[in-house]
Amino acid sequence: MADLSQHLLGTDFQSPVLLASGTCGYGQEYADLIPLDEIGGMVTKAVSREPREGNPPHRVAETPGGMINAIGLQNVGLERFRLEKLPWLRENLRVAQVLINVVGHSAEDYGSVVSGLDGEDGFLGYEINVSCPNVKDGTLFGTDPTALSALVTRLRDLTERPLVVKLTPNVPDISLYARICEESGADGLSAINTFPGMLIDVEGRRPVIGNVSGGVSGPAILPMGVYLTWRAASAVSIPVIGIGGIRSGDDALQYILAGASLVQVGTALFVDPASAVQVQAGIADYMERHGVGRLPEIVGGLTLPEPR
Amino acid sequence: MSVPVRAWARVLDNRPAARDTHWIELDCPAIAGAARPGQFVMLGTGVQDLAAPFLPRPFSIGTRTADGRLGFLLRVFGDGTRRLAEMGPPESMLVLGPLGRPFRMSGDRPLLCLAGGVGLAPFLFAGAQARLEGLELRIVYGERSGESVFDPDLIRRITGVEPDLRTEDGTVGRRGLVLDHLDLQDAPQLLACGPDPMLRACVDLAARRGLPLQVSVEEHMGCGVGTCQGCVVRSADGEWIKSCTEGPVFDAEELSWQT
Repeated sequence: MADLSQHLLGTDFQSPVLLASGTCGYGQEYADLIPLDEIGGMVTKAVSREPREGNPPHRVAETPGGMINAIGLQNVGLERFRLEKLPWLRENLRVAQVLINVVGHSAEDYGSVVSGLDGEDGFLGYEINVSCPNVKDGTLFGTDPTALSALVTRLRDLTERPLVVKLTPNVPDISLYARICEESGADGLSAINTFPGMLIDVEGRRPVIGNVSGGVSGPAILPMGVYLTWRAASAVSIPVIGIGGIRSGDDALQYILAGASLVQVGTALFVDPASAVQVQAGIADYMERHGVGRLPEIVGGLTLPEPR
Repeated sequence: MSVPVRAWARVLDNRPAARDTHWIELDCPAIAGAARPGQFVMLGTGVQDLAAPFLPRPFSIGTRTADGRLGFLLRVFGDGTRRLAEMGPPESMLVLGPLGRPFRMSGDRPLLCLAGGVGLAPFLFAGAQARLEGLELRIVYGERSGESVFDPDLIRRITGVEPDLRTEDGTVGRRGLVLDHLDLQDAPQLLACGPDPMLRACVDLAARRGLPLQVSVEEHMGCGVGTCQGCVVRSADGEWIKSCTEGPVFDAEELSWQT
């Protein structure tokens, strides 16, 4: 039997498959449909210091091979998350790991969320979201090297828990931002968030999405995600979590061979809540077929062509 | 509330039911038993089918049978509905359901169903249920033109009631809109499902006549189970609330109708 476990971020993941932020709510929404405690873990919907109302509809629409969304980080805010959502995760995800996705308008905002949750039980660490394309200042920290460095440094001082930074694909060179996170004390990276996009209703001559633009996800972005994961993982020695369009074991293995230690399944859950478990089974099947005993043996195991 | 189930369901039947409209039946006992009128399912073709648009889409449950069949009224609006409309035996669809809050049906008042276009679907189920429970129910059903009208004989067989038909061009039934020529003397509980302008007109009518109204709303949906927060509508309190889990059926006064 293939060993799917990974030891990283100071703990054990029973499998490399996590559910991506924004696609699994606070866990409870999928309790009847996904055996959450049998996968690697999940990343919560973003949590901000104050509740956020989110964007006007339409918030989602489909695009070729995927979808576009502009939810606008609607969330219950730090206090209600702590009181109403975290206890459920604590009770129900005993083996699977929980990362809390954190957003803010300012470095102080991010710091308040981390400080406000750090003493609680029931989660492993944080995924710092500096890469939401659907709110005004969503990528502020993710596209400014100085601001990113200051943010990660600040958060590093506030917590000993794992800090994973979720990177935006919308930068000329992701390896620069990956290195900045590593040098500023991040424990891991998530690559990538959605690509900004736009969809127009030609009959009405209007944008389909209420926010005008949104973030594109799904199978259409898989090759970009694999590429950027490869670029990021090649630039740092901290673990990288690969995200973008994964819907099968082979998709996940592309990310793993590119250097991802863990992966996240997102949009595919909307199509089939069983997809995360199927991705997990697909990875195990591959390992059996290729005689891979333990997952770390193939992380970054890509063979590149000889330079000519 | 019923627990949603994810299941592959065989397509048992797919026949043309009106212009661009199909009647689809799926073999889905895991979902049929628990379903209530007004609830919906997400129908799709799974993650491996990239020939189809990726996301599944919500459909009101039209009928269910004791042997586990679910019936749907499917109108082709775009690529996704076209793909589903092309499916037949022995293919299967991926089904997630039953989802959402159903109509609240009681015997306090007679039920008057106001159906615009494929908004008819939930009232087939509601009509069949009303017949079982001995509730009084009428259906007013409007389409743009006669070629779009779902077979009135079938409506009668499913629900036991004669639909009061309206078409905008008068080719079938009375000429006019769903809300034209309404008989409200029995002070009914209004149930409405149809396009947004029709729902707004229903809200005005209910307010004017002091009648209770439940509406089934439709918004673009991602997951159907409350995780993506894509399908929001504005509540009367000014918050964005999810139509998939808090609806799709709302009391009219729960929502904001300001444009």
